[in-house]
Amino acid sequence: MLDMSYQGKEFPPFTYKIEASKIRELCAAIGDDNPIYFDSNAAVKEGYKDTPAPLTYPTQVNFWGYPEIWDRMTEVGIDIKRLLHAKEEYEYFQPVYPGDTITGTVCVDSMRDSTMQMVTFKSTLSRDGETVCIAKMTIVVPPSEGGK
Amino acid sequence: MAPKFDSLETGTMLPEMTTEPVTQLHLIKYAGASGDFNPIHTIPEYAKEAGLDGTIIHGMYVMGVMGKMLSDWAGNKNIRKYGVNFKAMTKPGAVLTAGGEIKRKYEDDNGKKLINLKLFVKDETGDVKLDGKAVVECE
Repeated sequence: MLDMSYQGKEFPPFTYKIEASKIRELCAAIGDDNPIYFDSNAAVKEGYKDTPAPLTYPTQVNFWGYPEIWDRMTEVGIDIKRLLHAKEEYEYFQPVYPGDTITGTVCVDSMRDSTMQMVTFKSTLSRDGETVCIAKMTIVVPPSEGGK
Repeated sequence: MAPKFDSLETGTMLPEMTTEPVTQLHLIKYAGASGDFNPIHTIPEYAKEAGLDGTIIHGMYVMGVMGKMLSDWAGNKNIRKYGVNFKAMTKPGAVLTAGGEIKRKYEDDNGKKLINLKLFVKDETGDVKLDGKAVVECE
């Protein structure tokens, strides 16, 4: 059962430093060989300040910067062995570059507890007090066999 | 370089991109890169205990594949929104194809020239794994 008192709860902020090698590692892992992620000269030619973080970087910031998310999920009442990732959404305000220090704040954006449990965690990522990205992750836990 | 608003038409399909077969090694690398160490993706015995017949590909890996197709076409810094719905589990061995379509062309209240895209990733059998949407700012 979900603990509905977590609705709207904000967890303590964390910081994560963006690094060129971690950008390269993520791009290499997903097969994104675009030179803008590997070579700062190529990135500058395309109008970037340096090798930018790829589109799915918020997942890296959240898991490496806030591995406690797994404990928070358990705390909220999510059975992490059975969870499924249902949705992931990003809104980008500014590109993010190596050397940036990102402050992340995770909150429980919405919760629903019926036959199917659904929880959305919202991460607000900011740099020097300015929001650079809002990331939302929605997970579901399907009903267990034989009911709850 | 951003997509040229005037030369874009709704209904136009984006260039598709196809991966090599995704292997268990890809998932091990992805776990380390992303920090998502849920063993359901990397340890077959654990995946079986969780009721699956083997490991499954990280949903975020598949979103990364779609993201490459999207950012190669639109340019990373021109993308304002990007979101996906995960539709089905994907197993190692899958060959993934990402693509999309221009759904809408409009100017917002600030005069920004925007397009909405509908995106997909399917496997070699045509099974859709991911539905996506993006908003791209054009010039």
